[in-house]
Amino acid sequence: MPDLTAYSQEFAQLLLNSDVQRAKEYSLELLDGGISPIDFFNDIFTVALTEIGDKFARLDIFLPELMDAAETAKTVSTEVVQPKLAEKNAGYNTIRGKIVLCSVKGDLHDIGKNMVKLMLQVNGFDVIDLGVDISPRDTIRKAKEEEADLIGLSSLMTTSMPYMKETVELRDEFGLKGKVKVIVGGAPITPEYSHQIGADAFGRDAIEGVRECLRLMESTK
Amino acid sequence: MRMRHRARLVDVLNRAETGPIIEESDFERRLVTPTINRLIKQYDIKFDHKTIVPSDDDLADRLFQAGLDFASEVGLFCQSTSRRIVWSRQELVDGLRYCPSEAILGIGNDSVTVHARRPEDTIRVTVVGGAYGVPVPEHLFVPVMYSYAREPVVDVLENATLETVYGHPIKADSPWEVLGGWREAELSFQVLNRANRLGMCIGCVETSPTALGEISASSWGGFRPSDWHHVATISEFKTNYDLLEKVVHTARIGGAMETYYNPIFGGYVGGAEGVALALTAAPILLNQVNMAHTFGTRPDHPFLNCDTTPEILWALSLAFQALSRNTNILISSLAGPAGGPGTKTMLYELAAYTIATTVSGQSMIEASMSAGGRIPRHISRLDARLCGEIAHSVSGMKREQANELVQHLLNIYQPDLKTNPIGRPFEEVYDVDNVEPTSEWQGIYDDVCSELVHMGVPLGCNIR
Repeated sequence: MPDLTAYSQEFAQLLLNSDVQRAKEYSLELLDGGISPIDFFNDIFTVALTEIGDKFARLDIFLPELMDAAETAKTVSTEVVQPKLAEKNAGYNTIRGKIVLCSVKGDLHDIGKNMVKLMLQVNGFDVIDLGVDISPRDTIRKAKEEEADLIGLSSLMTTSMPYMKETVELRDEFGLKGKVKVIVGGAPITPEYSHQIGADAFGRDAIEGVRECLRLMESTK
Repeated sequence: MRMRHRARLVDVLNRAETGPIIEESDFERRLVTPTINRLIKQYDIKFDHKTIVPSDDDLADRLFQAGLDFASEVGLFCQSTSRRIVWSRQELVDGLRYCPSEAILGIGNDSVTVHARRPEDTIRVTVVGGAYGVPVPEHLFVPVMYSYAREPVVDVLENATLETVYGHPIKADSPWEVLGGWREAELSFQVLNRANRLGMCIGCVETSPTALGEISASSWGGFRPSDWHHVATISEFKTNYDLLEKVVHTARIGGAMETYYNPIFGGYVGGAEGVALALTAAPILLNQVNMAHTFGTRPDHPFLNCDTTPEILWALSLAFQALSRNTNILISSLAGPAGGPGTKTMLYELAAYTIATTVSGQSMIEASMSAGGRIPRHISRLDARLCGEIAHSVSGMKREQANELVQHLLNIYQPDLKTNPIGRPFEEVYDVDNVEPTSEWQGIYDDVCSELVHMGVPLGCNIR
């Protein structure tokens, strides 16, 4: 089996260049050249995205570049990788988990949430972004509807934090505890607060948020 | 306090209803980011890590022109109407001609006059002391804020954020927000009484995520028109009905207003150059839309939660030079060190921040959001004392000398930024009953002051 590291680095560069056409062609060339769809997904596609996520974590690239790369990757995934996987490895799941994400009611900040969203996407999560100023009821309704694995709640204001607690309470009362894990984050949020309201995890920033989401998914297996 | 520019209030509101429609995500990604990137290249704006406090006037003036271009091309996005509030370049220039070049904050003998400044100006900087945005429990609010109010170098008080009201969580957009705003006013006046500075200006209403808290708690019996009413901007370059409601209310009570914009480093505006451009364009736009007296900022690093990295200090310094060389805008900045109370890191960061921003032409220094402003009770008024003393001592200093000092300080504290140096909470660095710093914390403060004097910061001079 060829060393796929060089391919993943080249693929990462194509994603960072936002060259959708070339990224698709490159993927097809590798897949038609004998690399299996699963190997491509695990050892090239995912590795490239992780590298891009790491670059953002170091701020070697900025949010717009991260967004462009994530969009290019999504197109490649939808148009090339998924059809090939369906063709040769029916049933193989490339999604690490489904998460409903929002800034809670009373909070209109979205950049931090968007950073988390992108970092989750490049790490293989299906993210349903509800936006900002979202009520606990709407969040829970959507999580049920989408059969989400996780709920991610962001708040940059102390005055929005009570809505995090309400969301956790609603989840528990609606019998979703254990089925849907809740992760919280944002400037005023602490691990102590997360524990106090009954959330399952806390992320200090986008990087830790992704790490915790992966941990939560592992714990549900 | 000249407020001739508030005559366009109705025009502002009308433009929020009639401006070009755009999706919010398109505004950020298809308008803000590409325009910033294009203007940075067009005006040749480049970050130089060796010159954190630039003294290149031509660079500052190019940045100002880039800021004007951005403001006229992009405008401010109103989330409530999904429209851009746009202005022509000439309208923005006319608006700047009539922005207040001075503002009186507070009442009578306790008032202070804020003046427009230029780079290397000797005009006195107004010092704001407080714990903006830092959550504190109700029982600590008065001691914490009194510690700032009793500090002679502090001209204006900046409130901390109450964690609860009568023991209950304060929920945005609910009756609790209204009650929280009133409780903040009540406790603030207790602080002013205790400090015997009844006319002192108070930054308010901190407990107001929507318009409810501001409008209720700054009506009769609450915060006064002479206080410093805050109106935020949503990053990047966004407003909404709640914020415009605060604008209307503050304008109609004749209140003094601080509007602010906090760009995120590495976000939609990009790196150092983008932050500098955004910091220049935002006050131009906010002068037009919010018609404030003063324009504040607290850029944020998304992973270090501070505004004291070399890139952000450079952006602040250059943007303030661009604005202060070309307008009379009253610029205010909020220091947000990663370090917290009890740490030398915080003091070094605050020193670098104050030197860089003061020689670049800011009118007010706000201190501080210690420990990034996110850790409850991590507050100490020695931050305000240090910033105030330094601001006064470096007024008139040449930018080249300031750059050397800032570089020296960065070498000391920069490695610590990644260690999450949040320090200790108020009650561990203060005697809460006497509202005095512990001898240990006071000793650390005195040591750093001595070090600063040895570095060449003329602390204790320029007492005015």
